[in-house]
Amino acid sequence: MTRHLRRSAQVAVLAGGVLAMLPSAAAAQARTPARRPASEPTVRVRAFGEVGARTFTASKSFEAVLGSKSGVLFGGGADVLVGRNLFVSVGVSRFQKDGERVAVANGQAFPIGIATTISIMPVEVSAGWRFTQPRQSVIPYLGGGVGFHRYKETSEFAVAGEDAQFTKAGFQLLGGAEWRASRLVGVAGEAAWMSVPNAFDGGNTSAAAAFGENNLGGAVFRVKVVIGR
Amino acid sequence: MRPFVRLSRPVGPAMLVVAAVAGWLATTTTTAQQPARTGGVKELLSDLNAPGIDRGLRDADVPRPAATAATRWVNDAAGGEYLRDSLIVRFKPGTLPAAQRALLAQVDASPGPTLTYADFDVVALANGADPLEAARRLSAQPDVEYAQPRYRAQPRFVPNDPLYPRQWNFPQMDLERAWDIQRGGSSNVTVAVVDSGIAYRSATLRYTAVAWRRDATTVFPALGPVDIPFAAAPDLGTDRFVSPRDFVWDDNLPLDLAGHGTHVAGTIGQLTNNGNGVAGIAFNVKLMPVKVIDNEWDFAFNSPFFGTDDVVARGIRYAADNGAKVLNLSIGRDGGPAPVVRSAIEYAVSHGAFVAVAGGNGALDGNPPERYAEFAADIDGMVAVGATGPDRRRAVYSTIGNHIELLAPGGDFTRGGATSGILQQTIDLDLTETFAGLVSQYRAPRFDAFAYFYFEGSSMATAHVSGLAALLESQGLTDPAAIEAILKQSATDLGTPGRDNENGYGLINARAALRGLGVAK
Repeated sequence: MTRHLRRSAQVAVLAGGVLAMLPSAAAAQARTPARRPASEPTVRVRAFGEVGARTFTASKSFEAVLGSKSGVLFGGGADVLVGRNLFVSVGVSRFQKDGERVAVANGQAFPIGIATTISIMPVEVSAGWRFTQPRQSVIPYLGGGVGFHRYKETSEFAVAGEDAQFTKAGFQLLGGAEWRASRLVGVAGEAAWMSVPNAFDGGNTSAAAAFGENNLGGAVFRVKVVIGR
Repeated sequence: MRPFVRLSRPVGPAMLVVAAVAGWLATTTTTAQQPARTGGVKELLSDLNAPGIDRGLRDADVPRPAATAATRWVNDAAGGEYLRDSLIVRFKPGTLPAAQRALLAQVDASPGPTLTYADFDVVALANGADPLEAARRLSAQPDVEYAQPRYRAQPRFVPNDPLYPRQWNFPQMDLERAWDIQRGGSSNVTVAVVDSGIAYRSATLRYTAVAWRRDATTVFPALGPVDIPFAAAPDLGTDRFVSPRDFVWDDNLPLDLAGHGTHVAGTIGQLTNNGNGVAGIAFNVKLMPVKVIDNEWDFAFNSPFFGTDDVVARGIRYAADNGAKVLNLSIGRDGGPAPVVRSAIEYAVSHGAFVAVAGGNGALDGNPPERYAEFAADIDGMVAVGATGPDRRRAVYSTIGNHIELLAPGGDFTRGGATSGILQQTIDLDLTETFAGLVSQYRAPRFDAFAYFYFEGSSMATAHVSGLAALLESQGLTDPAAIEAILKQSATDLGTPGRDNENGYGLINARAALRGLGVAK
């Protein structure tokens, strides 16, 4: 191991210890920084950024208002690798798209000329298992967890009480594979399925009610760039 | 067939008519024995543009300016809207520009352009900066007199028409806030008033009045040739009528001899915010007078046609063929089925017209089937409308049945008295219904004088739905089935939860209908 890489490992481990608020581990690292095997830290913290596409379970409702049942999301977060296989991830992403309010008749949507913007910000906490093998450059993983989805829908002409804003809890299952591009950078492709039941319960005056859809979940396909080992 | 109206009659020369003589306009007089129809003649003697005589109230308020356009807004906890990208700041006199820039930089703000007529500055905020927090921090600075978000002033459109405060019916359907979205509709939209005609123009017509029998003991004498003056209802305007057609007289002069169609047209589109009289819902739209209803004077003048199903059907088809996007049918009848009218309504809907039909006033009269309104449940794009009183409950007379889809304000004199009807301008019935009293009082009518009358009936309720449909059309919602759907989805549920035979899907809500549906709300 080169001097440069040793220093990087030390920094990563120290930062991870602080971020993960694991003082005992951090203290242990501080006591024996040079002797710890840099390639096999017990706890590693990594940061990631992500870009992806989200498609909604309430596909008819979103397609009616936004013109599409899917859209782009951006986000980021951190994960903590515990040992070789276990990981815990916290991520925040944001979806936002403009559309137009509608009337719905016989399953068909008719725009009504009032602009609207929908933004969704899920905070996902997941845990899972990484299927690591020696000298493996691609690491598959599976996981699941809970999500807190902040939903906001604002419209032209709206006054107090007419816009929608709420946070609903749900859960997600995810799987993917991470390719280590270098010792500090990885790229992961991930698919997740989320369910946020009973999110749209605002009575009859909504597209979701007109289409009989009330789940804010859906599928997400995303690419993550992971910084850290 | 009859117009679905009950009316409050004027008392003497009163400008504002409030006396309550509720009753069928048509059925009070239609027991007349009808002579053979040889076809009378009406002769246009003059079409001078003489103004109508407005016997209602007036004032001279200046119309209010239109609302400003919206951009991108954010709401505070109290619901106030403000721009997210800028801020209003007033620095204390003597604060140097460099100091101002330094203070602004502390909240990620930068100076904006110099404004005229302002002793303050509007400064730009960086993306992501919170205007509320930035204003709070700036206000705490000793060199800042005040700082505040750029709150948006909300329009509060209340028409200045002096009799508007008597129109309880519009606030009941949340129309004022709906006008904030769609104020009065577009002149590209035409509403056909398929009714007794409209007082839409001035003219002097020569008729020949024949003798006729009102009932077993009352026979009105022949008046011979009579020259009858007409005028446009002053509060309807004169330049908004398109494709007029009279199927009772088979000509293009659908003048209102009954007052019903003019009243209905007023609710749909009375000129509004003009400092005169009352308001209407879709006051910018075009109106198409299509006369398919006859009344006593048509009868006395020996009109070639009555308001029979075939005449109604022709009127509906004519309206659809001539560009009407909304058809108001404040008419109906009981008796046997009316397939010819059903076919005409289906024709109109298939040609892109939304049709509103009166649900009937028969709840106290055995609740007979309504032969025009009964199709509504089967036709997407047609609705049958019942009436509410000022208390937001179904009016006592409003027909109950599985055809009722919506309620709208129609008035109810039994709950609130004479002023609990729907107020609109129409021909002065004191000067036209000379057949309502003694034979000795019978004389030729005049249709160039107007007053404001309270009417009640599902006719009046239907006009509210048509007016709202015209606003939706103006908003770009042109599919008849979609208009029906949003009217139902946005209605305020009354009575038993969900649809029921008394209230249909509930009371129309103009604001909610015009907002349409978002994903969640």
